[in-house]
Amino acid sequence: MDPIFLMNNVWIMVSGVLVFLMLGGFILLEAGSTRMKNAGHIAGKTVFTVGITSLVFWAVGWGFIYGSEGTLIGFGDFFFGDATTMGEGLAGSTDFFFQMAFACIAMTVAFGGFAERAKLSAYVVFAVLFSALVYPVVAHWIWGGGWLADHGKQDFAGSTVVHLTGAMAALAATIILKPRIGKYNKNGSSNDIAGHNQVYTALGVLILWIGWFGFNAGSTLEVADAFFGYVALNTQLAAGAGAIGAMLIVWAVTGKADVPTTLNGALAGLVAITASCAFVEPWAAVVIGFIGGLIVFLSMKFFDKAKIDDPIFALSVHGTVGVWGTLSNGLFATPELASVGRPGLFYGGGFEQLGVQIMGVVTSGLYAFVVAFILLKIMDKVMGGLRVSEEEEIVGLDLSEHGSYGYPENLPQTDKNTKATGA
Amino acid sequence: MTIYREMKANRSRLMAAAVNHQKLNAYHDQLMAQTVQLAMEKVKGELGDPPAPFAFFLMGSAGRYEQSVWSDQDHGIIFAGDDLCKSYFLRAGTEISNALELVGYERCDGEVMSSNPLWCNSLVEWHQQITAWMTEASWQTLRHFSTFFDSRVLIGDTNYLTELKHTAFSILEQQPDLFHRLIDNVDFYRKGIGIFGQLLPEQQGEQSGTIHLKQKALFPYVNALRLLALKNKIFAPSTLSRFSQLPEGYQSLQTYEKDFRALLDFRLKFRREAKTYKEVHLISIQDLSKQEKQELKSMMRKGYKLFSKTKTKIEEACSK
Repeated sequence: MDPIFLMNNVWIMVSGVLVFLMLGGFILLEAGSTRMKNAGHIAGKTVFTVGITSLVFWAVGWGFIYGSEGTLIGFGDFFFGDATTMGEGLAGSTDFFFQMAFACIAMTVAFGGFAERAKLSAYVVFAVLFSALVYPVVAHWIWGGGWLADHGKQDFAGSTVVHLTGAMAALAATIILKPRIGKYNKNGSSNDIAGHNQVYTALGVLILWIGWFGFNAGSTLEVADAFFGYVALNTQLAAGAGAIGAMLIVWAVTGKADVPTTLNGALAGLVAITASCAFVEPWAAVVIGFIGGLIVFLSMKFFDKAKIDDPIFALSVHGTVGVWGTLSNGLFATPELASVGRPGLFYGGGFEQLGVQIMGVVTSGLYAFVVAFILLKIMDKVMGGLRVSEEEEIVGLDLSEHGSYGYPENLPQTDKNTKATGA
Repeated sequence: MTIYREMKANRSRLMAAAVNHQKLNAYHDQLMAQTVQLAMEKVKGELGDPPAPFAFFLMGSAGRYEQSVWSDQDHGIIFAGDDLCKSYFLRAGTEISNALELVGYERCDGEVMSSNPLWCNSLVEWHQQITAWMTEASWQTLRHFSTFFDSRVLIGDTNYLTELKHTAFSILEQQPDLFHRLIDNVDFYRKGIGIFGQLLPEQQGEQSGTIHLKQKALFPYVNALRLLALKNKIFAPSTLSRFSQLPEGYQSLQTYEKDFRALLDFRLKFRREAKTYKEVHLISIQDLSKQEKQELKSMMRKGYKLFSKTKTKIEEACSK
């Protein structure tokens, strides 16, 4: 067997596993950023919705993306089961595994908007609908030979396809679900509902960061010229700059070097560079990541003021910064590296690529938001609401949705001595 | 009970009428003295006359003569008798705390009240306690000591308190290293001005958009002048008196007195209408005009500068 073929497949398999590991990062990030009473639920739902997404992606998701090269949607190759191997590029099953991991990430991002108040059944149903009808369509437009691919839209590893699509579904969900109890006061001010464990959150971010080397560097889809090393370099620089940018701005504006904001800054750097990691120079990666770190803070403030409760900041980290990351190609893509589309504004490419990027962001974002909103509204009507009852929300979703507590030692015990005897 | 409620009902009207900081605090003194006397009458009715001479003293903002319209309680008792008298004075302390609460002075979160055995002692015990606090020199004991030092007698013999402050001064003279610990004890305060020169209000919760005037603006002045008072053996508890009693060689620091005075007036002007103790230190920055914001920032900056200069001055003096 051709050794390059084998190496391509080994590298992408390893990258796929790294992307899959990011779900572990999300578990810790989300659990740490929310309250103790919801920790078991948040962690558990990530695992079972990954199960649903994987099966749906196998049944129809892959087929809608890569089944054929239609303008709006692919069709064919459902219930993927290609066991053949080819002489060059990737084996179909390796490619499938890698792409499936991406679909799981987009789904998990979307569920950020559900946190701490959605019914378990809402997760189950929406996991099916999103994985079949929302994510595959945008992925087809950009990666599956759809209409945006024809325009030369640059999105190397998925700032738009994965992050923005997930975040737009999260936005639709958070608008329909409304803020958590206790988030906003009568006078309009908002309360900080602090996550229960910053260490979990930080560890979650670090695992995501590591996984991102699979996400971005793996998106080379081959080992040729060892280009993945360059992509990893840009990824690392942007993540570092994002953390620094966020910490500087939160400190400058509020006087406090807030830890959750800094952590979101690292993620913002990663999301921002995802679209452009293969198309820009390292100095530009630093600028893109740093600006991502600044934007994530401003976006968090904006959503808070707009009374859109975003418990784990999915809208800011993946949405707002996903937009920035996609647009940054239109500014910084170099003529040598722009293997898709044209160079950016700062490299003599004029506004053409920027225009394509803007069109891609607007159409993809709008599609994901509108379709997710309609689906969720229908679910809301049919299922008698997406949100748990007030009492269940106060008790916590660990108990209300699963009947057990993530931290059993902290479960309030009924004191036998004070219990009514019934006498 | 009824009389306390009536006193509380009258206080808001009278306090709002106080035209300046001096008058406001004089009114507080009058109200508190009246309340304490009524409470003592009640205790006398139950337990008879006090078994020993005593002094009831104020600490905190009341001690410093720096109360705003609303304030919490900080007080103690020194009695010139043996331990057997303690139960009487603790009972008196409890009655006084309850009465002050009814009149509108919130109970102290840190239990700095004469109902607490830590703050209700015989003169002998107080001497021992202050020596022990300064010998241990832990964060907590020095915090107690700093609280104790901003004090003045409201009712009773003033000599007891003066005597105790003498003890403190002589310990500090023998152990000037304690000044470093006392500086450390108050060196942290939350910043009120950001690097762009902007005010840093609370970001979250019902108080978002407000500046905590006491913590972010007053404390640097108060803490600086307490340290200077300790260094220069000034008995007076109020920050303004401490300014005026600074000896020669401190002219550069004395210039900040007018800023502190302006800050007290500023607080009174904006919080005269406050309905609770919680509100009294919070200033909503959107209610301030551009000029008022500039004034506030200038007063805050000067406070930070004063504290920093004070630290340098005391550290230099201690290292000689």
